[in-house]
Order: sequence, then C-alpha cells, then structure tokens
Amino acid sequence: MIIAFSLYRANLGVRMLESTTELEYAEVDGKLTLDRFSSQSTKIARETADSYHRYHIDTEEVEDADPLPHRFLVEVGKVGLATLLAKETLHYFRPWDPNFDVIFARPCTYGVFSGPVGGFAPKPELCVGCMRCAVQHPEFVKVLPNPDLLELGDSYTTHGHITAIDEEARKGMVPVRGQGYRGRFGGPGFDGMLTDMSEIVRPSRDGIHGRELIGTSVDIGSKPMHLTFDSDGRITGPTPEMFTIQVPFVFDLPPGDLGTEELARVVTSTAAEIDTIACLDASLVLREGLDSPYIAPVMDAVMGSRASQFPNARMIELTLTPGRPWGWDCSGFEAACDATDAIVAVRIAFEEGWQDLMSNAIDAGAKVIHLLADLHGEGSDGTFVTELFKEAHMMLIEQGCRDEVTLIGAGGIVGADHVPKAIISGLDAVALDLPVLFALQGRSHGSLKERALVSGTLPKNLDENWAQQRLTNLCGSWRDQLLEILGAMGVREVRRLRGEFGRSMLVSHLEYEAFEDISGYVGGGS
Amino acid sequence: MQLPQILVDAYDAYKGKIVKPSDNLLHKTTGLLQNGMNARAFGEYPSPEALGDARWTDELILSTWYMAETGKVPSDMNFKTGKSDGGFDRLDFQFLPEEEWLEHSEEIDTAIPLNRRADGKHDLGIDIPWYGGGMSYGSVSINVMMARAKNAKRWNSYMSTGEGGYPTELYEVKENVITQVATGYFGVEEETIQAAPIVEFKYAQGAKPGLGGHLLAAKAGEEVAKLRGSVPFVSLFSPFPFHSTYSVEDHSKHLDWIETVNPQALLSVKVSTPHDVDMVAVGSYYAGAHIIHLDGSYGGTGAAPEIAKKNIAMPIELAIPKVHKFLQKEGVRDKVTLIASGGVRTADDIAKAIALGADGCVLGTTDLVGMGCTRCANCEGGPSGRGCPWGLTTTDIELQEWVQQDWAEMRLDNLYKAMQWRLRDILRKLAMDDVSQLRGRTDLLRYIGKEGVE
Repeated sequence: MIIAFSLYRANLGVRMLESTTELEYAEVDGKLTLDRFSSQSTKIARETADSYHRYHIDTEEVEDADPLPHRFLVEVGKVGLATLLAKETLHYFRPWDPNFDVIFARPCTYGVFSGPVGGFAPKPELCVGCMRCAVQHPEFVKVLPNPDLLELGDSYTTHGHITAIDEEARKGMVPVRGQGYRGRFGGPGFDGMLTDMSEIVRPSRDGIHGRELIGTSVDIGSKPMHLTFDSDGRITGPTPEMFTIQVPFVFDLPPGDLGTEELARVVTSTAAEIDTIACLDASLVLREGLDSPYIAPVMDAVMGSRASQFPNARMIELTLTPGRPWGWDCSGFEAACDATDAIVAVRIAFEEGWQDLMSNAIDAGAKVIHLLADLHGEGSDGTFVTELFKEAHMMLIEQGCRDEVTLIGAGGIVGADHVPKAIISGLDAVALDLPVLFALQGRSHGSLKERALVSGTLPKNLDENWAQQRLTNLCGSWRDQLLEILGAMGVREVRRLRGEFGRSMLVSHLEYEAFEDISGYVGGGS
Repeated sequence: MQLPQILVDAYDAYKGKIVKPSDNLLHKTTGLLQNGMNARAFGEYPSPEALGDARWTDELILSTWYMAETGKVPSDMNFKTGKSDGGFDRLDFQFLPEEEWLEHSEEIDTAIPLNRRADGKHDLGIDIPWYGGGMSYGSVSINVMMARAKNAKRWNSYMSTGEGGYPTELYEVKENVITQVATGYFGVEEETIQAAPIVEFKYAQGAKPGLGGHLLAAKAGEEVAKLRGSVPFVSLFSPFPFHSTYSVEDHSKHLDWIETVNPQALLSVKVSTPHDVDMVAVGSYYAGAHIIHLDGSYGGTGAAPEIAKKNIAMPIELAIPKVHKFLQKEGVRDKVTLIASGGVRTADDIAKAIALGADGCVLGTTDLVGMGCTRCANCEGGPSGRGCPWGLTTTDIELQEWVQQDWAEMRLDNLYKAMQWRLRDILRKLAMDDVSQLRGRTDLLRYIGKEGVE
C-alpha cells in the first residue's frame, strides 16, 4: 500500500473487524447485518480516502559534519610544474596576445587545481579520479588511492559500503554513475545473489515506470489465515494483531557501545518521521523518556513484567536471559504479554539450537521473531544469513503459520541491495544496525563482526536535527533503490517479495548451468 | 525554487562562460593528452596508482591504449583479461599442440552473416564478429559518435545510434549506422528508420535492466534536447518497458511496424539477461527478429543507478550458453544471429563469448577506452555537471574538442586491427580458419582456478 496511514488510520482495518465485538455496534444499533457491515466499511473507506496522501520521505541534501577521508591523494611535483609553466610561457606568450588561457589552462574540470596558486596547492578533496592530470602530465603529477579511506570498516563492511552510505545519507538520492560495474564477478554472501527482472512486465501502466505506485509498507504482527463469524456476524476467532510500518526496515538495537542517549533520540525522531520503529534498550527509553509508538523497548525476558512501563509502545522485544541461553523463558514472555497490549517480539540469535527456540516461542504465542546474525551476516556455524533467513521462513511455512508470524532479521545488512535480497530470502523486514553509525558519519574502531564488541564514535557536538535528516536521507535513498529493484521485477508490493526465491538467481547455480561442461569447472561459484 | 548548482553551472556553460577552446589551447591540450597516453601505454612511466578496477585493470586499460596507438598487441602487458575472479576472467582456451597450429594469415575468416533467415531482406554481414553498441548523442559527443561510425564503415561493420536521435552528420555513413528504437522513442522518425540497414529495438540495457534510460539534466543541452524533441536541461528518463508491449504478440507488432516503414531493414532485438532470457530470445525469433542481442549486467552505461549495475539480471557469460542451448533445442539456432554484449572487453572475451555460443559481440566501453577513457565513472556528468573530462561522454562545448574525429577514428582502427589479429591468433591455435567454427565449442575452453588467474 502506498497510502500512508497515520497510526490511527493504520489500525482502522483492524478496528473495522473488531468493531463487531469491541465497538458493540450490535448492542447500540441492533443486530449487525451484512448491509450494516457494508455501510460501516464504506464509511471507513471514505474517511480513509479523504485523508489520503502519498507516502513520501522528505530528503534534503545536508552538509558533512565529519567528512570521510577523500578518495584520492594528488601529488604535484613543484619543480616540474614550475618548469612546465616557464616552458609554456616561452612558447605561447606574445605581448600582443599573451595567451594566458593557454598558459594557465588546468587539466581538471573538477577544481583540484582551481586555487589561487593552481597545482602548487591542489585540492584533493575535489578529485574524482579521472586521471586526466596524471596522464597529461606524467612527469610530475600522481593520483593515489587514499589509504585513510581504504582503512575504513573491516573485511565485510568495506570502505565501499561506508562511502555509499555516506553519500546516500548526505544526498538522500539514488546514487547514479556512468560506466558499468567495476567490481568482482559474483562473490560471497549477498554478492552471490542476483535479482531477476522482466522485459515486459511493470507494476502499473501509470506513470513513467509505475514505481510511484509500488508499496513498501509491511505489517508487523500476526494475521490469521481466515476469520470466523458466528451466526450473528460476530467475529469469534482471532483477529489481526498487527501494525503497519511504511518501509521494510526498522532500526535495530545499536550494537556495542553505540547505544548513546543522543543516538537514541535521533533514531526515535527518525522512526517517527518515516513511520517505522526503532529498537532501543528499555532502560534507556525510560531514562530518556522516549516511550512512543515508534520505539520498541528491548528488555531481558525475565523483566517481561516491566513491559507495562511502556504504554505507548506498539512492540516490546524480549531477549534471552544471559546464562540460560537455550531455555525458552515462557514465564517472562507470558508476563510481558500480561503486562502490555503491545505485540511482544522475541530476539533470537543464530546460535546453536535457534530453530528449537523459535519453535518454542511461536508455540507460546510470539507473533514477531527478530533474528540476529553477527554483523558479518553469519550464524555461529558460519552459515550466511540468506540461508538462515530462508530456513526460518521455510520452518514457518511447514508449520502452516507463515502469515501469523513476522520475521525481522539483522546482520550483514550494509547496502541498499541487501534489503531486497534479505526479503527474498524470507524476511518481512530487516533491521539496520551499522548503517546508522555510518549514516551519521561515525567512525568504527576495530572489528565489526561481534555485536557486543563493536566500538564507534559519533561526530562531536552532534546536531540532532542534522543527524535526523541524514538518517532520513539514508532511508529515502534505500527505499528508492528498493523501488528500482521492485520496478524492474514488475512487483507492486514489497510484501509480495517475501520468500520469493524465484525472483533471485544464485551465481553458483547459474555458473553450474553455464559452465558444467567446461573442463576444470568444479562448481561452487565465483 | 532554487536550481541545483550543477544545473546553474551547465546553463552558464551553455550561455558562454565556457567556450570552444582556441586553436592554441586545443593544440596544447590534445598534444599533452595524446603524448601522455602514449607515454603511459608504452611504459615510459609507471602505471598510475589509482587507475583501473577489477573488471578493467590498469594493465587492460593501458594495453588497450597501446593497441589503439600501434595496431598491435603488447608483449609485456596482460591485454586479455581483468581480475574480476569469474566469468571471462576464469576462462581460457585449450589450444592444440603447437605443431597443429595454422599459420597466422589474413585468410582466417573473421566475418559473420547477420541475416540467417533467408527472407529476401538485405543479406548483411560484418567482416569482424563485433559491431559498435548504442551510445546516444548526448551521452557521447558528436566527435565520438562520428569516429565510431566512420570506423565501422572502414571495417564493414555497424554502430548503433543509441536512443538519442540521428544527428545529420550520420547520414554520411548511414549504411553502417543502426537506428535504435527504445522505449522513449527519442529521435525516432520515419526518415531515420528508412535510412537504416538494421533497426534495433532496445527493450532493456544490461547495466540498468528494467529501469529505462537516463540522461541527466546537466547533459541534456540545447542541441541534445532539440534532437530528442525535449526541453534543454531537463533530465530525460526513458520509461521501462515499451508501453505498448505486454506480450510476444505486441512485440511482433512492433517489428511489423518497422517492416512497413523499411521493408529491407534487418531487425535486432536488444534485451537484458533475466532468468527467462532463453524464452525471451525464442519469442523474439518467432516475432521476426534477425538478431537477438543479449546485454549482460556488467555492461556499460552513461548513467545508471549503482544498485542496478551488479544486482539485477545476470552477467553475459552466464546468459550466452543458456540462450544458445535453448535456441538449439527449439531448432532455430541457425536461423538467428546471437550477439552478446555487456562486459565484453577484449578479443579474448569475444572469442570466449563465441565459444560459449554467441555468433558475435557488441562493444561499447572498449571503444571508449581506446579513445582515452579511464573508467572514472563520471559519464553521467560528474560533480562538474559537464560530463567526461576526457571529452568522450559529454557535449560540453570545450571538453568535446579534446577528442578530434580523425585522431579517434585512427585509434579505433588500430585497436580493431590488433583485436582482429588476436582473434585470428586464437583461431589458428585451434586449427580453425573461420570464426564460425568456434561457435558453441565449450569443449575448447577450460575453467581456471584462482591460482591460474593472471
């Protein structure tokens, strides 16, 4: 759905169904007939239509607070440059026609040599690596990759991911460049998955691409497979317990030492701005007074009864008790359910026995499972998240309850393309962790694999309005890039992408099909 | 509303702040550029540290420059493969023992036919198994376009207009120019279809499959806009897909339409590489296509969303065998010409594509590299908004002068000579005297592990 419901509107559909029992129309106005139900539906639909506005994320380019190291270093030999200028002065200068445009012509259209003394004080921050100066003047100009930039991130979250996130958060646009793909063929993890497209199908006949009509909203919670009514038209079975967010991503609990008060305020306001949710430590939420529909307080399962402290939250997340990693804490879950009307989600790490834990949680009534791989996208046995998400998704299908449980997943999501690929693998929504840090021009220190060990710093004197706009820009850019992928496939709703493995192609499979009869090919993918 | 600075700059340039270079400046700049390129290609200076990427390594770029300068393959650089760790870069030929090799000879035939339908239309062919891919006026300068077209004429090959109209200058070499009809119909007129020996329907482009075309505002200057029937300095987005095509039957009507306007023209259908590309190819054949042109996902572009380049659709190496085998199963393989593009960089890549099942290839980026491109990826306009600083992918009044037509045509001619030489070299080492004998011979390929990648 592209209609952006307010929280109230988002619940209208549920309320419409609940109305037969909770709003007690039957008691107030007599028996609820099909005609009355129809007229109520019409009324609500009219109200909804009257309040319609197209969902949109307001992006706006913002300045850097702590710019990344620039891409290139530019070294100019001063003697070489002076010699060149002298030679060209002798060659071109005439008193009646000094030819200054020729003598001082600079080989850069981007302004690297645009300062008052030109190449004697180059501006490497403007260099885009076209190499024209280094080719035109090989004797004294060098353009080098900046090692400071190359050192950002780690082996999984590379400087390439970080610079992409930085650009997306600065401009809020889809990065567009000339030239073709520059990287390796296929690759591990998400790189080994390609998304499909259709030559003739598109989401809609309307508009340039129809992509403005593609829906990115997802439902968090549970939808019964069918409704049951009694002879008086009352719903007797379960009703939907869910709410809708407008983008298929949420902000995850900041890993390591990133969960500061200022970051919490930024993700809270951004979640409200774009209509999603942010998972934050429950004690931090209380301390900062951040309780709102856009916050999912995360607490230990044994503290479940404290869920009542967050009356505005639509979702509470429970983590397992340290020291009892594989025991399903049913009492904590039940206590949380008793203490709040919010949806109670369970966070499960992809560690040994996660499948049993997930089954236990679902049996106990959990409607949302938040799955966690490490930040390289791997479970404890090294399996990559695309396989783990798929396994979780298939488990629910086999149990016949896929639509009754929402799967949120995190770990290794550091590029816009990872969102649709994770959804294709079976998730309803992904949770963003490290991208938040890099969107705010934070710096990481050391490995970015273990959640608990992540260390990072945000820019000093963080302007929270600036930070909110950066994060909003990132979300706008990633949503637009999701629309590009969905538009190419001809898929009209991101919800329809969930678990659609057929919408992806695995490089390893394609390679096998193409190269199986070639000598020396042993499979496994590039 | 305040215009973005990039557009203000572009407009200022158009209004005269940036002017055509003086003769002295032209002489100086082109001299420095050309001398510098040669010095780098001949190894007088070390390879620039920041040059190249996994697909186009510094060696591949510099060796292409060397070939464009000399017409010969270099002896001390890897001119065959990149370092992408897969696809063409992991394939090599299993050559015969040296005593079975043929002599290197111009008698080794590199020509291929394009019309295999025997339907009474033009009996067209090309002397080398590749032609120039579509790069529109606007995405590249008129100098680049004319250099490519003239070189195509020299080699009895073709060059596609891309989707940007048909500049008047092209009529000079119209026998070697393919008119492209793409989803925005920019510049498509009855006259330009009637002028074309081949009309190419572009359904999708490998670098941005399913996303239509993009020419950003800063590059859509007055001349470009006039040719496309649009407003200057307004971004032009071709829709995706054809708004009149929902089936093979609709597609067939498109081809019928062209046939009505130009009954003798061959029909080419350019598609990208989705999972069902084999079905698309067969459908295109039955709709009447003479040429099925597959454009793989690692192909070039003047502007494309970064997310599309790697992630949507499949690389050409994986699509060719799929389509080739399916056309064989359908019994129509010898009635249609299969052309591959999208990441085809070298003569070795062309030979490998043919061994995988293609008849020939289309080149785009290779031509640009031959003329000086360093793959800096600022074709869409870059931070300056003026386009390519080398003068290739730009219509900027000043920058486009850095690529002079005669010089560029000479470089392409040399590059093609070297590539044809290398292609013949491969064929002779396989004891083949005709490139058509190589088609589908995957038994002559070997897959090399990481330790074998140069």
